[in-house]
Amino acid sequence: MTATENPAAQQADQTYRPSTLQRFLPFVVAAVVPFILGATTDDLNFWWKAAITIAILALVARLAWKWTPRGELTHREDMRLWRTPSDRSWAALTMFGLLVLPFILASDFTPPMDFPWATWFAVVNLVLIFAMGAAAFNLLVGYSGQISLAHVAFLALGSIVGGIVGVQWSGGNMWLALPAAALAGAVVGAISGLPALRLKHLYLLLATFGFHFVMMLVWREYLQEYFGFVGIRFKGVNSPRIASWLHWLPGIDPDENGEFIITGQFRWYWVLMPITVLSILFMVNVIRTREGRAFAAVRDRDVSASLLGINVARSKLMAFALSSAVVAMSGVLASFYIGSRGEDSFNVQTVLNYAIIIVVGGFSSIQGAIFGSAFFWFLPEWFKWAREELWFVRDIEFLSDYPSEIDLAIKGFLVVIILMFKPDGLAGMWRDFKNWLSRSLARRNP
Amino acid sequence: MSDPILSFDDLTVQFGGVRACDSISGSVERGSLFALIGPNGAGKTTLVNAVSGVYKPLPGAKVQFHPNGEPIKDLLSYRPYQIARLGVARTFQNLGLFMGENVLTNLLLGRYIHEHTRLIEGGLFTRRAVKRELAARAAIERVVDLLDLGAFKREPVGDLPYGVQKRVEFGRVLAMEPELLMLDEPMAGMSVDEKQDMIRYIYSAQDELDMTVFLIEHDMGVVMSIADHVMVLDFGQKIAEGTPAAMQQDERVIAAYLGTEVEV
Repeated sequence: MTATENPAAQQADQTYRPSTLQRFLPFVVAAVVPFILGATTDDLNFWWKAAITIAILALVARLAWKWTPRGELTHREDMRLWRTPSDRSWAALTMFGLLVLPFILASDFTPPMDFPWATWFAVVNLVLIFAMGAAAFNLLVGYSGQISLAHVAFLALGSIVGGIVGVQWSGGNMWLALPAAALAGAVVGAISGLPALRLKHLYLLLATFGFHFVMMLVWREYLQEYFGFVGIRFKGVNSPRIASWLHWLPGIDPDENGEFIITGQFRWYWVLMPITVLSILFMVNVIRTREGRAFAAVRDRDVSASLLGINVARSKLMAFALSSAVVAMSGVLASFYIGSRGEDSFNVQTVLNYAIIIVVGGFSSIQGAIFGSAFFWFLPEWFKWAREELWFVRDIEFLSDYPSEIDLAIKGFLVVIILMFKPDGLAGMWRDFKNWLSRSLARRNP
Repeated sequence: MSDPILSFDDLTVQFGGVRACDSISGSVERGSLFALIGPNGAGKTTLVNAVSGVYKPLPGAKVQFHPNGEPIKDLLSYRPYQIARLGVARTFQNLGLFMGENVLTNLLLGRYIHEHTRLIEGGLFTRRAVKRELAARAAIERVVDLLDLGAFKREPVGDLPYGVQKRVEFGRVLAMEPELLMLDEPMAGMSVDEKQDMIRYIYSAQDELDMTVFLIEHDMGVVMSIADHVMVLDFGQKIAEGTPAAMQQDERVIAAYLGTEVEV
């Protein structure tokens, strides 16, 4: 086909290629500046910091937008995760945001109207852990179409492996527990996926739900055998720490015992954020390569997938194994972050919570899982704040008498609203917003 | 003369009391364009389903596939995905596309059997995975050019018009580079122009990509103009077989299509 027949090529009438430096510079700025800001601006007023941050954000977004290859793309360029100007801008912004966030949250800032600044950091960390688990859950249930309710079973498996490898064997070595949990999650996940070879939809849902209860039984037995009713403590002596041979790393200053214990929101953020980002990137990469495409094929039409040479059974089990491995890892992180896990840490409600997260966030979208967990954790915080601080809400006794019930009701109501009016959830809204923004920007300066 | 790429013998498929295919035998010459025709419900699709492993024929049937330069394979002992890997590809009458995915993904899925990226390699996006991904894209570029699909690459298949969807599905089997290409009514529901385009595509696939084509078609006119060899089914039975010209004259074929005169 000639270039003139292709409308996409006609639109991009001039081809443009940034130099390698130009291509990476916005991201380098986004990666480096937050640390400079964090290190140098301790005595700066919060508002100054905010102003500088926003200015740099705008600059980074603009440059990433401008220095994007345009015109007829080569295969290599077409394959990039961040391909369009808008993708690149948002990627640079996200990167900058993720790196600058802990410095902002760690500053002793008191927002107007007592907006709960300190609790935000804890919420952000929980969002990170949940986003990782929910993304894996969405990969299985949404993207691969294998309806499973065994999600929480793998969080529990993560806690068990964290207990065996991280606490009993090594006394607080989370780094060892993470790969062990991934391995155990993959193996047990593939086993839990066996019903998927024969069952679909609701029947599969029930079969995997059965697996949930089996795992709960294992969890309870394990707890009573080794830890009694108090549950596992992942805190104190069992806290994860940075090994002494890594103490030369910048930003790591050991305490008086010569140890660097991961405690407090700020340090946890730097552990959770990279692990979450990397595992989500891993899943995104799987989706855009061969086996991930096969997941989608099996979801949409398994007969025609098998006639393309895809071993449907194997593909389904791989989806289960991958998802469960990541969920088990997030289970380890959650255990060590929250600090203790007991008999009542896992229940059916948690399964439903994850279901809410992926439905609200956007079914079958990895991004949706992130939005969904943010929604799930931020909303109650906002409600709580509104109940306590907003003058027109504060005086309604009914609201303060039944706080959690009202929260749940509003959450449920919002879920219904989203399902009715925007079935692809928050991720869909976000996509619409981005498209609208790029269109209007392109119209203003073509 | 005879070098069949596919031969089936005594092929019977039964659903409950209905024999959708009743001991059908035949063979497809390598490099030819074989057409299977017959009225509605004649068992054409069932035959293709049995060959590609979707349906199991009754015992006693024999389906042999002879890939170029390799020993003859007994297809009944393979599972559908293995048959695809041997080099038998097929399309569906009512489209076997993945509607939620875009054209590019659908076409790349056609390269599944030729790429060998493993899950972990893909997840880590290793250099090798990138290289293979690029190779797959280069391979489908040929198909995209052949079928004029360039403008639709990023469109979700479900949003495209029917004629284009048919082309995408055809492109996907071409991307598989099979030795035997089975097309189940590729021209069903198409306008005359679209039909002519599709005929052109089938010709170029056969010539440029060196495939044997097994075509199911409803439209006698199309079949007569392009097929080398025609087999006619009716009510699950083979009623005639031969050159297109001979089939046009065959009384049984005319009877099957037009009905017989009844003495009053």
